[in-house]
Amino acid sequence: MQRHERLALIALGLILIGLPLATLGYQYVLRPALAPTRVIDIRAAAPENGGFQPASVQVATGETVTLRFYASDVTHGVAIGPGLGIDLGQIEPGHVAEVTVTFSEAGTYTYYCNTWCSDGHWRMRGVIEVRDPDNPAVLPTVPPDPIIEALLTEGVDVDAIPGDEVAPVPGLGPDVRLSAERGESLLSELTIPSELQEAAWRFTHTPSEGLTLLAEANPGWAIADMADAVAALWVADTSARTLADAISLYEKNCAACHGQTGNGDGPAADTTAEAPIAFADAAHMFGRRGDVLYAKTRRGGMGTGMPNFGTVFTREETLALVDYLWTLAFGAAGSP
Amino acid sequence: MSAQRRTDLLARYPALKRLLLSRAVQPVPMLATLAFFALAVLAGLFGTPAGSRNFGIIFVWIVWWALLILLLVPLTGRLWCAICPIPAPGEWLQRRGIIRRTGGKLRTLGWRWPRRLKNMWLQNFGFLGIAIFSTVILTRPRVSAWVLLGLVLLGVALSLLYEKRVFCKYVCPVGGFIGLYSMLAPLELRVRDPQVCASHTSKDCVTGNEHGYGCPWLIYPGGLRRNIDCGLCTECLKTCPRDNITLNLRPAGSDLLAAQEGRLDEAYKGFIMLGCALLYSVVLLGPWGWLKDWANLERLPYWALYALGFLAFNLAILPGLFWLAAAIAHRLSSGKSSLRRLFVDYSYALVPFGLAAWIAFSLGFVLINGSYALAVLSDPFGWGWDLFGTAGVPWTPLWPDLIPFLQVGVLMPGLLFAVWIAYQVARRHSDTLPQAGRAMLPVTGFLLAVTLVFLRLYLG
Repeated sequence: MQRHERLALIALGLILIGLPLATLGYQYVLRPALAPTRVIDIRAAAPENGGFQPASVQVATGETVTLRFYASDVTHGVAIGPGLGIDLGQIEPGHVAEVTVTFSEAGTYTYYCNTWCSDGHWRMRGVIEVRDPDNPAVLPTVPPDPIIEALLTEGVDVDAIPGDEVAPVPGLGPDVRLSAERGESLLSELTIPSELQEAAWRFTHTPSEGLTLLAEANPGWAIADMADAVAALWVADTSARTLADAISLYEKNCAACHGQTGNGDGPAADTTAEAPIAFADAAHMFGRRGDVLYAKTRRGGMGTGMPNFGTVFTREETLALVDYLWTLAFGAAGSP
Repeated sequence: MSAQRRTDLLARYPALKRLLLSRAVQPVPMLATLAFFALAVLAGLFGTPAGSRNFGIIFVWIVWWALLILLLVPLTGRLWCAICPIPAPGEWLQRRGIIRRTGGKLRTLGWRWPRRLKNMWLQNFGFLGIAIFSTVILTRPRVSAWVLLGLVLLGVALSLLYEKRVFCKYVCPVGGFIGLYSMLAPLELRVRDPQVCASHTSKDCVTGNEHGYGCPWLIYPGGLRRNIDCGLCTECLKTCPRDNITLNLRPAGSDLLAAQEGRLDEAYKGFIMLGCALLYSVVLLGPWGWLKDWANLERLPYWALYALGFLAFNLAILPGLFWLAAAIAHRLSSGKSSLRRLFVDYSYALVPFGLAAWIAFSLGFVLINGSYALAVLSDPFGWGWDLFGTAGVPWTPLWPDLIPFLQVGVLMPGLLFAVWIAYQVARRHSDTLPQAGRAMLPVTGFLLAVTLVFLRLYLG
């Protein structure tokens, strides 16, 4: 009986002391120690439940780390940017996804949720600070963005609420439907002013301004025909490859508010301070500038609920996204 | 039920008797369940907050619950109470040992449990207290873990203050309904011959001897007539010098017709259990999402409204409707029994009906969510482990189209059993069979009305 009692006491000790030590010790001590890389556990929760925890991690340049994300409440999507091309996809509650990555350049990166998870979804971000071990006090800052700098120099109020700054387009009703494809077939018949032929000019001007120039150069043409031609010019630089990437970015990061087809009617449209822009509204987009759309995307819309994406998208990705926005309004060239 | 309709399992299976006489027969499974319990608490406290991926939620509220309500209680009565880990630390502290029979007095202040609390009322209110928070407790691992830990600590505290297992007998909110439904089980621990006990003066089963402890459940086995009082710990089997204790197989539900033993606290346990099964079916299985939100404590005022309604339904509305049925039955019967007596006695018809309702309700979520257990087994904390290669098993509802029919298939026998119990009670309180047939009608009507509500919920 004494032997049985001793065995029982040992079993009890294993349960009450051994089990906690084994499980917690393995997870928090042994597992990280055995891992070939440093493992950083990050809990992913909706911002109302604490957001990413930790919201900031420190990494040295050249260090290979494993970032392990745990979705703790609802389904999240985790991506890391800018420029890393890391998208872990959707993580269901209680599931884990991880990525092992080596940060070769010092700087600030952002891990963010790209699946609509709550009203505060856009605030669900965390920061990876990558520092040079030889110079750990310095965290390289992002150089000024020339496009945004140019807008500021020009005196454009990037933070203006869109509805206030867009002037109505003469001759185009509110429900106008434009066709870049049809416009493309008209371009050879029209006299195209030199400015309109330059992508850089189009990027910094509105289609409405383009329409004015086109109308001056082509008297007698119907305004609807010339509007289609302008639409064709504004989608002319869109490449199939960048468009595919941009669509993916749009669907994961923008569609929740702006709608899958750009109608401004995404499932989260009601949660923003200002109604999301309907990119599919051709009349509205006729008064928009590409560089301002770019700046809004990167900086966010102050007071509107539009988050900044400059910390998660590269400039190239943002430009591709702007190209895609024009196709939402005007359709892609060569498409019905 | 006559003794002839019982099968003495220990006489028929000597090996079973030898097993039960071993002092290790209770502590070993208790240690096993304690290991699961400890893992559940650890996972709850440290694991993922996502309930569907946390061992503490899945293995307590789905796996354990399924075992308990679908198998253990209907077939073995209080067998779970014999191996439950919650009172184990307190009991082992009292005894200063786990397996061996230690000498000397138990390590406890040995206070007597207050007479006015020697009933099920604490268990009734404790169960209701947990029930109104159940959508939170059952889905949030940390809350669940603290509740489980709290029960253990309460068990330890009561063991150190009071005699023996007063926690299990008078406090444990789970033990209350297990006891009620154990009266249905086809298994019982009883004395072979009460006369042997009556003539035996030392009453070792109460006082204990070198082979075992006096009954931890504070009963005298010689007078044991219902499973509700017995925790199946088998200490009396070990201590009885006259070999007068045994385990019987018996007709299910024998205890329900144990005459003149109906009690109001037990009647209310029946109402509360049936009411909770009904309300859970409405809240968790019904299509009313707003009600789920109210129950889920999303907004305190709405939850308070829900809790108030929950309590009112269980404590006043359902018993009130049953009282109405009993009052009509009273008018239709001989009048030799008081209305209160009829109300209490007829309420035992709710025991088979309530258990059937719980089984049916449990089938609904166990079959739908049971597959989570495979993933959780490999990754109990939701930390990305894969101990047995099953962490990636996807959620797979089992036979979702079949569930409503299974539920109906379980509920209807429960209804028939309940009607039969009601008839037996009516016969006891009536002078003639036709009178009994009339007297049972109101309670039968009550049962049918509740059945219709369940069927509406199951079948949509």
